Amino acid sequence: MKTVDISITIGGPQGGGIDTSSNMISRAFAYSGYNVFGVREYHSNIKGRHSYTHLRVKKERPRSLKYPLDFLVALDPDTIFEHIEDVGKGTRIIYDNSIEKSDLSQARMIMKDTSDRIRHELEHSGDLMTVAGAISLMKKKGGIAIPIPFSDIVQKAISGGVPSRYYNTLGAALTLAISGVDVKFLEESIRFVFSSKEKVVEENVSVVKAAYDYCQENKFRTDNLEEIKRTPRFLLTGNDGAAIGKIMGGLRFQTYYPITPASDESTIIEEHEDLKWIASENSKLAKSGIAVVQTEDEISAIAMASGAAITGARSSTATSGPGFSLMAEAISFAGIDEIPIVITLYQRGGPSTGLPTRNGQGDLLFALNTGHGEFPRMVISSGDVEECIYDSMNALNYAQRYQLPVIHLIDKNLANTSDFIPEIDSKKVKVPQVARIVHSPEWRRYSLDTKTGISEFGVFGKDIFWMTGDEHDELGHVTEDSELRDKMMVKRFHKLEVADSEIPISDKAVLYGPENADVTFVTWGSQKGPILDVMEILGKEGKKCNLLYLKMFQPFPSEFVSGILSKAKMVIDVESNMLGQAANVIKLNTGIDITRRILKYNGRHMTEDEILDAARTIMGTSQKKIEVVLKHGA
Amino acid sequence: MAHNFKTDLTVDWCPGCGDFGIVTSITQALTELNLDPRGVVAVSGIGCSGKTPHYINIAGAHTLHGRSIPYATGVKLSNPKLKVIVTGGDGDMLSIGAGHFVAEGRRNSGLTIMVYDNEVYGLTKGQAAPTMSLGEQTKSLTRANIFGKLNPIALALSAGYSMVARGFSFDMKQLKEIIKTAINHEGSSVIDILQPCPTYNNINTMEWYKQRVYKLEDDKSWNPIVTPEDDAKTSGEKFASAMTKALEWGDRIPTGIFYQNKAIPPFTKRLAKNVPNYLEVTPAEQRVSTSDGYTVVDPKETFADKILM
Repeated sequence: MKTVDISITIGGPQGGGIDTSSNMISRAFAYSGYNVFGVREYHSNIKGRHSYTHLRVKKERPRSLKYPLDFLVALDPDTIFEHIEDVGKGTRIIYDNSIEKSDLSQARMIMKDTSDRIRHELEHSGDLMTVAGAISLMKKKGGIAIPIPFSDIVQKAISGGVPSRYYNTLGAALTLAISGVDVKFLEESIRFVFSSKEKVVEENVSVVKAAYDYCQENKFRTDNLEEIKRTPRFLLTGNDGAAIGKIMGGLRFQTYYPITPASDESTIIEEHEDLKWIASENSKLAKSGIAVVQTEDEISAIAMASGAAITGARSSTATSGPGFSLMAEAISFAGIDEIPIVITLYQRGGPSTGLPTRNGQGDLLFALNTGHGEFPRMVISSGDVEECIYDSMNALNYAQRYQLPVIHLIDKNLANTSDFIPEIDSKKVKVPQVARIVHSPEWRRYSLDTKTGISEFGVFGKDIFWMTGDEHDELGHVTEDSELRDKMMVKRFHKLEVADSEIPISDKAVLYGPENADVTFVTWGSQKGPILDVMEILGKEGKKCNLLYLKMFQPFPSEFVSGILSKAKMVIDVESNMLGQAANVIKLNTGIDITRRILKYNGRHMTEDEILDAARTIMGTSQKKIEVVLKHGA
Repeated sequence: MAHNFKTDLTVDWCPGCGDFGIVTSITQALTELNLDPRGVVAVSGIGCSGKTPHYINIAGAHTLHGRSIPYATGVKLSNPKLKVIVTGGDGDMLSIGAGHFVAEGRRNSGLTIMVYDNEVYGLTKGQAAPTMSLGEQTKSLTRANIFGKLNPIALALSAGYSMVARGFSFDMKQLKEIIKTAINHEGSSVIDILQPCPTYNNINTMEWYKQRVYKLEDDKSWNPIVTPEDDAKTSGEKFASAMTKALEWGDRIPTGIFYQNKAIPPFTKRLAKNVPNYLEVTPAEQRVSTSDGYTVVDPKETFADKILM
């Protein structure tokens, strides 16, 4: 029995239904019992520029993506030109045969430098500057061209209308037909995707049937894909995961200013703000909800969430680099005033606007140092969709327990990852209730009489106390007293030590694989999945590997990290940035310098194959200081 | 015993500062309204005006320069049962915080916003603030002001504030009444308070204002109130009259209520349409966990739309 491991990229113009198409493919495979893992790549553009979804289908849950592809599905000429590099031996290239003559120079939506690069490559291989030329080059790489009369098939299925409107469904249908997925599963997907529109469902189903017939007639179909018993699963993105975690974690106030790729999280929370969720033990609260407020800018977003936090509502905001930069001053305020607030920072390629829709991990050092002055904050990071859920719950808990700003890092790649989650465990993380009491007159909001640095929390609406951005006394009034200043600084930072001692190591750093290994990978964020897959492959080849996976950067688990790295034979740091920021944090905290690095900062997701290649390069050299920069990705 | 709305802190404003009259007007208004001191919150930004919350014996947040409005909005929207007053200088509200000032007009969250208007940045030694007239040169300016004067009343009206007024810090009787009306007003209000800075503004002094201010309410026909019963024409006329009065500056400066629209629903009521029981069980007051300490959310039910069966 052949192991199912199918890699698919479906691409087309932004606004051309690529999302719908990949959703149909994912669902149809899922209905057949398989697991699908995917990432969305897109330009900062509404309509026209190239966008695609990269998927991987396996029986067990895939954790990463890989090249070369098994299927490249092109809904337009740009997709053919943009993905030449993704094709290898056996890649089936499904495309509309009427575009073969399309010239590269007519593909105006391809960025000029990209176009120049493709032109150079076609020149080099001696191929024509057309889709046919690109296909010819792909064939040289081992690709199998499958030209399809897109328009004819659609016109056979439905009368009238614009055929190209159905190309996304057609692309999905051809992929699934050739993969051997039963047509009934695609029909089921279509009924879900276009749920309420009966006519649209009918039309799309006709297109699907025509596509399946065409593949049958032309003997494109492979053997039927084995059906596996399907189980109910959550289909979630990283954005979904963070939203769900916050909602489960007791979030009651969320603010945001629109920014890619963070705002989806707030939209998802807003979609679920009217909830029939409250346990039946208190019928008065049987219906309630979360206030989600779109603010005038990110400064307002964090200020408003902070204001809400001091009334006792669990509060958070979500943003990306540019917005996070604007929040710096208010994060400092939350630090000195001990405000429990969560900032979910969706990292994208910077600096400045940078690569606004692409991946990056360039904000770690900034997150650790945002805001003027010295104050305690916590910085945590997630690496897969499930972690997004439980880390978001933990973030709200940490904020409340230690009364400080918690910055939760999620990278764009993870935000736009779609994954099937078997279960959401509502008993995995406890959700402590904020105490809402009127304290006695002796109570002081910033009491120094504490063994932990954590003064007893009070809320506006119950207690009378003050807050100020100035250094303050126990009541919250301004002070410039030199002794009190020292005491307050020490009290605030004491909380971090307490956090470090209270939080289990499993929430800070995890060692995957055996304790003794030939190679120790170090990473954080969305490279976790691909590295675990790489370790499996290397393991089969007899290379013992492990992974030191970092989840908490402040407080930093120095002892644990140092314990592992000081014993490691060969350490390879893997990050989606240029400076190796996590490696820098490790050096700062442990003195250990990681000199072997795999880095990627072109904004595209890291894949299994390229990490594997780079790891082999590093393992195969005696060079102790080596940096491999990954370049792949359309 | 009635709650003492003044704290016992030493007030460190300059002798003769207009801010004293404002704090007294606020505390008197709170006393006369007989408000529960735990039901009112004061929020400020930075500058002399920013110190205000420390002098009022209610919960107070002395926040960042220009950001008092969003902090206050967060307090109000997470617990709409609270009354929230906001104090800030002309620079705080109309320069660094101008974006928030305008945005709050659209929201109408229910804040009572007081702009301490003295045309200078006092705490940083007298630079020109956005309300200073073009060509004016107060004593600490090295050159005459080359910026135009921003009109806080006209800006507040344009931004959509449902109540706009002007007070004078040396007429505490009128100011106190305006503050009381504003606190009772359901939507957000702006009170532009003429507040001479005795140290840095040697032009717009107490005497200068005293010679010019007059009360809108002294004209018995002045009716700035728009009610839900008013038709579009009537409400439009009242807005236009307010705008006309807003432009008056120089020899005669109007004070009092320019405009009060009771027909505009506050943001809290708009939000309540989306969030069930929002006003009854506010975000601040909701339970987040059941008695066993776990989430009140059942993921299978709440996120059923994300489940692939």
